[in-house]
Amino acid sequence: MLKMTHLSKVYRTEVVETYALRDFNINVKEGEFVAVTGPSGSGKTTFLTIAGLLETFTGGEYHLDGVEVSNLDDNARSKIRNEKIGFIFQAFNLIPDLNVFDNVEVPLRYRGMKGPERKERIMSALERVGLASRAKHYPAELSGGQQQRVAIARALAGTPRLLLADEPTGNLDTQMARGVLELLEEIHREGATIVMVTHDPELAARAQRNVHIIDGQVVDLAEDPRFHTAYTAAAGQVRS
Amino acid sequence: MQIRPILATLRYHKAGTLLIALQIALTLAIVCNALFIIHQRLGQLSRPSGVDESDLLLVHNQWAGKPDADEVASMMASDLATLRNLPGVANVYATNTYPLSGEGTVFGIGHSPDKKTYTDSTAIYFVDDNALATLGLRLIAGRNFRPDEIGASSKHSKIEPDEIIITQALAHHLFPDASAVGKAVYLSRKPSIIIGVVGRMRTPWVDSSMAKWDEYSTLLPYRRLEGYTEYVIRTQPGQLDDVARRVKATLYAANRMRVISPKNGVRTFADVGAQAYNSDRGMAILMGAISLIMLTITGAGIVGLTSFWVGQRRKQIGVRRALGATQRDILSYFLTENLLIGVAGVIVGGVLAIGLNLWLMNQFEMEKLAMGYVVAGVAILLVLGQGAVLAPALRASKVPPVEATRSV
Ligand SMILES: Nc1ncnc2c1ncn2[C@@H]1O[C@H](COP(=O)(O)OP(=O)(O)OP(=O)(O)O)[C@@H](O)[C@H]1O
Ligand SMILES: [Mg+2]
Repeated sequence: MLKMTHLSKVYRTEVVETYALRDFNINVKEGEFVAVTGPSGSGKTTFLTIAGLLETFTGGEYHLDGVEVSNLDDNARSKIRNEKIGFIFQAFNLIPDLNVFDNVEVPLRYRGMKGPERKERIMSALERVGLASRAKHYPAELSGGQQQRVAIARALAGTPRLLLADEPTGNLDTQMARGVLELLEEIHREGATIVMVTHDPELAARAQRNVHIIDGQVVDLAEDPRFHTAYTAAAGQVRS
Repeated sequence: MQIRPILATLRYHKAGTLLIALQIALTLAIVCNALFIIHQRLGQLSRPSGVDESDLLLVHNQWAGKPDADEVASMMASDLATLRNLPGVANVYATNTYPLSGEGTVFGIGHSPDKKTYTDSTAIYFVDDNALATLGLRLIAGRNFRPDEIGASSKHSKIEPDEIIITQALAHHLFPDASAVGKAVYLSRKPSIIIGVVGRMRTPWVDSSMAKWDEYSTLLPYRRLEGYTEYVIRTQPGQLDDVARRVKATLYAANRMRVISPKNGVRTFADVGAQAYNSDRGMAILMGAISLIMLTITGAGIVGLTSFWVGQRRKQIGVRRALGATQRDILSYFLTENLLIGVAGVIVGGVLAIGLNLWLMNQFEMEKLAMGYVVAGVAILLVLGQGAVLAPALRASKVPPVEATRSV
């Protein structure tokens, strides 16, 4: 589903070059639920933005669903984002000017879907996340957990094959976080591939597979001595 | 396509939306009325005076020393001879006034001597047998005055001409169904016979309050022997400037008992037209400037507000891009948003424009605004809006999708 080989990403500013990812290799199979962990600044978000075609990369290869994406133009990338990928962000990223219904509708409109089908999908997605009764509410009128569930509904409504979540529970308390994770597990059971970045070892443990990133590279924990310090630091950060 | 959610968003940004819509409405109201006024004034400017304007020179001669009528008559006769002998002069006559001069006399004219049934007003020109040739007026019917028909008019004499020449417009108005030549009309208690009809000849006045009868002119066979005399001179082709330079000195040399103003004493007909239409031209320029300023302010306002909105919405633009919006989708979002505000603005503005016109009609004899101006104004403002929004909208479309992941 998602295969990166020798991929690198360099951020260039006037003074420094930062290798956010270097010789980065990962292979996520169709239907997997992968949790990505790693210390702050290690490149987790960078990995997700490249995986989700939000950003280009500097070197290496990236095959998404069998297609090498580096040669695709902006429109083709938009289309793939729209049809194959669902995003869940740490900061929810709902559009504050639009109510819940209109927020969930956004990706469906860009897909050119007809009104009645949009409505049906929106309502069933909102029912999935238990917020059908809040369709007319604005984001500011919802709790954080509810907002994140709307964001999940927005990602779900387009029935994406790949769901990318960057610390989806980072802004939520433990109970809300558990609710969100249960939702993701349910979506996973229905066949979606999920890649989730998290700082929470408890959540990471519930995924099928854990991938650890340190200094822009995927490392095998069993072999890497750096892991223990980094892992503890990350876990400590979440608790504070 | 995305009209409903855009409207929902605009409800969220009420103040800015209302401000721009209102600005568009006001600009439309002012611009279409201004365009209408400009067109009217320019229409005035381009209206023909009826005379052959090239090679015409006007001399305003004030007699000094309070001469009596006989003295004026003899000085005038000798002036006419002097001018006629001046090299480069083709023809000349003396009169009280001429088209577009701004000053003149109005008489009532009608089919009966009874003043109450005078139906119309006409401008009065005192002329002699050389006037038609000098002004280049075309005789459409009848004949010119004969030299022996030219009378004298002084302070206490009655104006009761036996023969008159009128313009075609006036003839047609007085006698819609028949030729006016040979018919009697009344300017005084005595009948005057129309001996000739000339084509177009405007009255001395250009303002719109006189517009209804601005070609109702009547030529009377009189020399006016009072305070001042206007000489109308036709020069040989190409001699206008030359004659203009010499005419004053020539007249002073012949007779010093006169004042010819150094400023306005000698004017070409082009000068006369320019001065007559000064206020029209000024009004047209003023209206043009006001329109331009209003349009600039509105355009700048749209650029400013949209830029502000684009900055404010960077994150949500990024989110939309992440969710599958193409650059075109973002561009068309802002263009559509502007179009919706613009349409609301021009609907209100159209009503305001008509209201403003009604008020102007009440206050200052303005004519009814033709709908074409409202349509043109609407088109101008909508195009202006789309043009103004283009740069910020393009900037918005360039917001990268990764903006969605940046924390603010
Ligand atoms: N736009 C950018 N310009 C320059 N450097 C960047 C940019 N985005 C990320 N980086 C750098 O790339 C590296 C990886 O950043 P990234 O955001 O991927 O880390 P992360 O693992 O998501 O960290 P966190 O857990 O704190 O979210 C960091 O060193 C960061 O400073
Ligand atoms: Mg991150």
